[in-house]
Amino acid sequence: MVEERRILYEHLDVPDINTFDVFRQYDGYARFEKAIAEYQPDDIAKMVMDSGLKGRGGAGFSTGLKWSFVPKDIKPCYLCCNADESEPGTFSNRYVLEKNPHLLIEGILICCYAMGIETTYVYIRGEFTLGKKMLDAAIKEAYENGYLGKDIRGTGLNVDIYSHPGAGAYICGEETGLIESLEGKRGQPRNKPPFPAVEGVFSKPTVVQNVETLCNLPFIVGNGVEWYTQMGPTYADTRSDPPTPDPNTGTKLYCISGDVNEPGVYELDLGLTCSELIEVAGGLRGEEVKAVIPGGSSAPILTHYELDTRLDFTSLTLAKSMLGSGGIIVMNETRNIVDCLLNIMKFYAHESCGQCTPCRWGTPWVRDIVQRIADGNGRKDTITRPKFGVAENGRWGDTGETEEIYEDLDLLESVANNIANVDTMTWNTICVFGIAVSWPAVSYLRKFRPEFEAAIREGKLVTLPIAEATVPPEENYAYQQRFVPKEFADL
Amino acid sequence: MSDELVQIETPFAFNEENQREFNELIGRYPIKEAAMLPTLHLAQKQAGYITPAVMKYVAEQLEVTVMKVKDVVTFYPMFFEEPVGEYVIRVCHTLPCALRDCKVVLDHLKAKLDTDIASETNLAKGTTADGKFTLMKVECLASCDVAPVIMVNDDLYKNLTPEKVDEILNNL
Repeated sequence: MVEERRILYEHLDVPDINTFDVFRQYDGYARFEKAIAEYQPDDIAKMVMDSGLKGRGGAGFSTGLKWSFVPKDIKPCYLCCNADESEPGTFSNRYVLEKNPHLLIEGILICCYAMGIETTYVYIRGEFTLGKKMLDAAIKEAYENGYLGKDIRGTGLNVDIYSHPGAGAYICGEETGLIESLEGKRGQPRNKPPFPAVEGVFSKPTVVQNVETLCNLPFIVGNGVEWYTQMGPTYADTRSDPPTPDPNTGTKLYCISGDVNEPGVYELDLGLTCSELIEVAGGLRGEEVKAVIPGGSSAPILTHYELDTRLDFTSLTLAKSMLGSGGIIVMNETRNIVDCLLNIMKFYAHESCGQCTPCRWGTPWVRDIVQRIADGNGRKDTITRPKFGVAENGRWGDTGETEEIYEDLDLLESVANNIANVDTMTWNTICVFGIAVSWPAVSYLRKFRPEFEAAIREGKLVTLPIAEATVPPEENYAYQQRFVPKEFADL
Repeated sequence: MSDELVQIETPFAFNEENQREFNELIGRYPIKEAAMLPTLHLAQKQAGYITPAVMKYVAEQLEVTVMKVKDVVTFYPMFFEEPVGEYVIRVCHTLPCALRDCKVVLDHLKAKLDTDIASETNLAKGTTADGKFTLMKVECLASCDVAPVIMVNDDLYKNLTPEKVDEILNNL
């Protein structure tokens, strides 16, 4: 069985680790002191680039690369720490904020030193009242002990950290939505470019990083790049010649919930498979795995055929899904996929910010279609149409068979794909919320179509046995282009 | 405008403690408008909900138009424009909680409090007759490992069953 490797969470359960004195006893702020004593800011940026650290918030973008886009000559520059953890199925940042807030402050200090940043805003979601209280107390202690404020440890470095509460809007977790919200407006995302790295909050260059990403920094600086890159696989990106390394290094705080015996946060090296993770989380609650959502509710669903998929950025992208924020939701054989999709679509219909028309109208429309199917009123056309395909004579045409038209299913896919097209990966909206809606809608439908058809045919929700409910990979467009990536070392 | 019209609402102003906190908040940002969300949180804590008078006061403090404040208040679900109960009960009903039977908890609360579920445009619907509780459904509270969860004002309650809900309500 895969062993947990606790790095970010190592001292999480130490009593009073949230206080400055106890945190100091466990190497606290020593890594920051090492950074300012031994390295120049540019060295730190290079270390982060070499470590292959990818943003843990959802997009999985290289942190080092993001930092390199920030213009050096425009000041002030801001750091926004994204603690607006609202993706359903994700809950790792909450524990960092509530139990070990000094680790986040240390990460922020290292980032500020590397980028020459003097002001940081930690955008905490409004519901995290305890997390905000703990962080505010930790910030106060850090000021008192001279680790924040003016001229930190006599180095001439000035850093201020402020916590900023959100007010319950999911979209403020999107980086430009967060920036708008931070400026005191509605959290409606901005068009990119300009990217926040060039023009962000208060029209100044802004680095937006997730809590978990920042918490990785002390360990990269403290233990070195070589130590860090040993964890997790590095794949070969064969699109270029010679192949370039595609690192998925470090550990990930996997949040697992749903039908497992011991739901919780498990810190493991990137790259373990879905079934291994379920085993780590105390095994499945139920008989068989029906489906797994690998990266928060926005991620396309995985079926029982795909349980060997490795949970890292590259492998899941190639499996046409995503690691996202690492929120894994497991469903057993008793779950009805139509019902699950309805729940998720209600969430997105509620959380659409209303800025772009396809999303504002499309998300409630998708929800209504799924609601109709779940209520047993799904529209079915009684006329059957000829089925096109390769006919007996070997040519493309009418195969002589007929198929029933499930009007609502075609409509569902069409509406979802018009918010954002999952095949071409183009979206008709400003931000990626569009794709976060159509990804689950279309993938649930394509991979579990028999269950949707049964609901329309029978006029009620029918939970089919797994073998019947799942469309096999070879018959499904949703699975195409899927292959197992080769590790760089194997080439 | 006649004086009567102006005085329908009781005017609002920060009390001493909140004024101090507000003064500290305003210094954190290069533009005053950026303090909007924390200021509104502060005002809501004092006034109970965001009345037009509160919006007017916040707008004056932040040197923006009242419309801009209204714009923000209507966007975020955590700001109330109607009176709410002394205890606001938020029940998470997103997928991980739904997989752990949050519906049982919700139905139990509905029966126990003898109230409907509030909608964002009609909070009175979910408020008990004595004005003590407001019951509302919310999206993911980021505690999926201890699902189902509810929040009562600022406190999170985990791994709920109907019995635990009774205990929580009795202790309030």
